[in-house]
Amino acid sequence: MKNKMISALLATAMVASMITVPVLASEGETEAAASVDLSNVEAKEAYHFEIVSKGFQHQYWQAVLKGAQEEADRLGVTMNFVGPNSESDIADQVQMLNSAINAKPAAIGLAALSTDACNDALQQAKDAGIPIVGFDSGVPGAPEGSVVANAATDNYAAGELAAEKTYEVLKDRIAAAEGSVRIGVMGQDATSESIVNRGLGFIDKIAELATADGHTVTVEGNDKYVQDSKVEATDDAKVIIDVAVPSQVTAELSATDCQTLLNKEDTICIYGSNQHSGEAMVTGNENLQKLGSGEDQVLGVTFDSGTVIKEAVKNGTLYGAITQAPVAMGAAVIDLLTMAANGEEVGDVDTGCQWYTADNMEDPEIAQNLYD
Amino acid sequence: MADKKKGNAFTNNPLVKAVGTQKIVVLLVIIVLFAFFSIMSSGFRKYPTIVSIFDYSYYISFMAIGVTFCLITGGVDLSIGTGMICYALFGGYLITRQGMPVIVGILGTLLLGLLMGCINGVLVAVLELPPFIATLGTMMVARGFGSIITGGMSVTWPAASSEQGWFRMLFKINKPGLLLPVGFIWVVIFVILMSLFLNKTRPGRYIIAIGSNKEATRLSGVNVVKYQALAYIISGVFAGIAGIAYAAVFSSSIAPGTGAGLELDAIAGAIIGGTSMTGGCGSIFGTLLGVFVMSMLKSGLPYIGLQANWQQIITGLILILAVFIDVIKNRKLA
Repeated sequence: MKNKMISALLATAMVASMITVPVLASEGETEAAASVDLSNVEAKEAYHFEIVSKGFQHQYWQAVLKGAQEEADRLGVTMNFVGPNSESDIADQVQMLNSAINAKPAAIGLAALSTDACNDALQQAKDAGIPIVGFDSGVPGAPEGSVVANAATDNYAAGELAAEKTYEVLKDRIAAAEGSVRIGVMGQDATSESIVNRGLGFIDKIAELATADGHTVTVEGNDKYVQDSKVEATDDAKVIIDVAVPSQVTAELSATDCQTLLNKEDTICIYGSNQHSGEAMVTGNENLQKLGSGEDQVLGVTFDSGTVIKEAVKNGTLYGAITQAPVAMGAAVIDLLTMAANGEEVGDVDTGCQWYTADNMEDPEIAQNLYD
Repeated sequence: MADKKKGNAFTNNPLVKAVGTQKIVVLLVIIVLFAFFSIMSSGFRKYPTIVSIFDYSYYISFMAIGVTFCLITGGVDLSIGTGMICYALFGGYLITRQGMPVIVGILGTLLLGLLMGCINGVLVAVLELPPFIATLGTMMVARGFGSIITGGMSVTWPAASSEQGWFRMLFKINKPGLLLPVGFIWVVIFVILMSLFLNKTRPGRYIIAIGSNKEATRLSGVNVVKYQALAYIISGVFAGIAGIAYAAVFSSSIAPGTGAGLELDAIAGAIIGGTSMTGGCGSIFGTLLGVFVMSMLKSGLPYIGLQANWQQIITGLILILAVFIDVIKNRKLA
């Protein structure tokens, strides 16, 4: 019963997110939603902001910090940018949020690690009249009126973009295949909003494109993804989407998941929905040597960057990847915080994402969002 | 080890007596698991898959060899999981951020492991803190320290294709047409060395004696502080070796704040292999077998299409079963 309610809610949320999915630009980017104009923000005073991030474990956060710092300097505002030691230190982050509220800043930026652990603190901030701007991932269950805007990648749309780019290559291969073909999806977990939406966006889009070409599609593997995807499970489908989620987030288990997929005879593609999964694909492939863009190889597509993934894209092990735009995200957070402090109307901003392959990863526009 | 009293045809067999009942059982379990997964999945029974099972077991094997010594003294070392990551972060930091040669990174990794082992040794043997609490503390320290060293950022050891990537060849040779799990040679060498050390040398026998009866050992004139500390130092050094194996086998970046829980895989391996949580008995060879049971499960269960939660349940049940065998064995002896 509870499960059904949750899936009903999620389905509703998904439909809602579909409506707001931005139009895809032709060169492989999702464009920032135009609901809020960030182009001529000015600070009315020299505000001070507190920003609580998810920590600095990944270079991604350094890029967010860079974007935020540059924009803060430009606008003449100051900020205190903090984050916990690791992305599992939820309690530490709540503590940091409490300290941020006590510092009485003009506004607070928050990239919540847990969607509900921060609720009490958010209520306090609201009572104290401090507006909160969410970033990186939203805070869906926040007390009403506490979070005034979010600056985040639309992960579902990003997953769809990956699917479109992947399908361009797979289209003919699927049509030419005699039996069934398998597309693996590797998710680090089935709980975090961003990972799940990247997976579902990819699954739903692949299914949509394949169905439009007259193929039957089914999803199997992890229950959560199977239930929440829009695909009806069927027997004897032409395209099988196979979702693997490890029991713990370790390099070993994810690499094993990748090998399991690579070892299935009908696998033609694997998609990993974050840096962890992408790196596990590289590790898992080392002994098997099956990833590549050749006709008889398995196409590897992933998310984010980092030394390992960049190298793998460059040398052709991975065909391509989606990168978010952390620099733009950092700037957008400062813009939204400033507008909120000015008392202006604010709303959610999709900070966009880009598709990169060996061919375009040197472009300055993309290179600035690829981190080590 | 245990079956001196009466026993049946199986336990009276000289070979079984020499190797130990539990080890024979565990070996059979490994063979059965391997046969089962091989029959169920054509992907599992391929050479590269089997090499991968070896590859991914090295770091757990090294941690498990080390922690077996602590378990035999009746203690435990919980700091090895986060510690291993912390040492590998330190080594990787020296190489990638300080531009030092790989060999310096490797030595740094080992030294930090040694240092942490010494700290654990002092806390447990000299200051007489309960091992569970002392190493729980150092487990947290290692976790935080890893983050501090790298400024909270993840570290990637040099890739196999780069000039500095030679150290990866110590654990796996992976060239076109040639794929060898050479790291297993190191594991076997260390298992043999540490088995000999444990069973044939005086310090090794003292470590066992401390686990059986610390007071009696002390009264017979053995410096129990020294030998108890030694167990933790060994554990620390092996966590350092595990860190190097981990960095060499996985291409993935090493993230600070991770590693918690890996120590439990190593401890579980030792327990399944017949080391008793109450101390006084254990074997390094058994530990290696125990680790392979865990590795076989971790690699095999995804191949038969079992979802994540079921993998954990089955691994948990096997651990309980192993401890249960241990309990029954002790009851028979008593």
